[in-house]
Amino acid sequence: MTEHETDLDAIARDVRIHVFNEAATTGRVPQAPAIAQALGRSEADVRAALHTLAAAKVLILAPNDGNIWAANPFCAVPSGFRVAAAGKHYWGICIWDALGVAAALGSDAVITASCGDCGTSMSLEVRDGQLSRGEGIVHFAIPAHHWWDNIGFT
Amino acid sequence: MLLFRDEEHVDRWCAARDLPRGAILTLEQTWRLADGWYRNKVKSDWRRHTLEETESLLGSIGLTDPFWNLRG
Repeated sequence: MTEHETDLDAIARDVRIHVFNEAATTGRVPQAPAIAQALGRSEADVRAALHTLAAAKVLILAPNDGNIWAANPFCAVPSGFRVAAAGKHYWGICIWDALGVAAALGSDAVITASCGDCGTSMSLEVRDGQLSRGEGIVHFAIPAHHWWDNIGFT
Repeated sequence: MLLFRDEEHVDRWCAARDLPRGAILTLEQTWRLADGWYRNKVKSDWRRHTLEETESLLGSIGLTDPFWNLRG
């Protein structure tokens, strides 16, 4: 391992911890300029670290601008899977991740989503570490081994 | 993965996209999957699950058929 690789690994670790802490405590996923400022690193270093983390499937980058799309389970942009928890609002890219927000926070949560077919609004609730209320079923369209072929459609 | 009212809605969604039906989970299974997958994600000492750990998690909630095979 080269010195550069070792340094990049250290930056990637710091970036990971910062991104997930920020997402959890604020409900917002920070992007490279804010991460760089918070960590006192160059934006180029942070973007390199984000690519390292994306390659390791720790988070997901948007295909065009390289911004974080999801520090999964936390989605950086509004989606059809809204999570109200700890007095804040979060988003998941799918129902699995919406439930994952509650799990990652260790918090009670109310998830609002809609039927993928007819659009009827549906609600789930996590309380005291258990799924306390819910309706419906979940469909995985893509076999597990192929999830990362296109993580935006599973 | 999406939420649906019931299996009839899943089948209609699949038919509209010319996709075969995938796997259907109960909400309880999905919650247990999410909890096992993401519980530690925010912790500073988080690490990815090993393949064996992931297989164990899937197996613990009854996801053992070929759809859930992670080894290709």
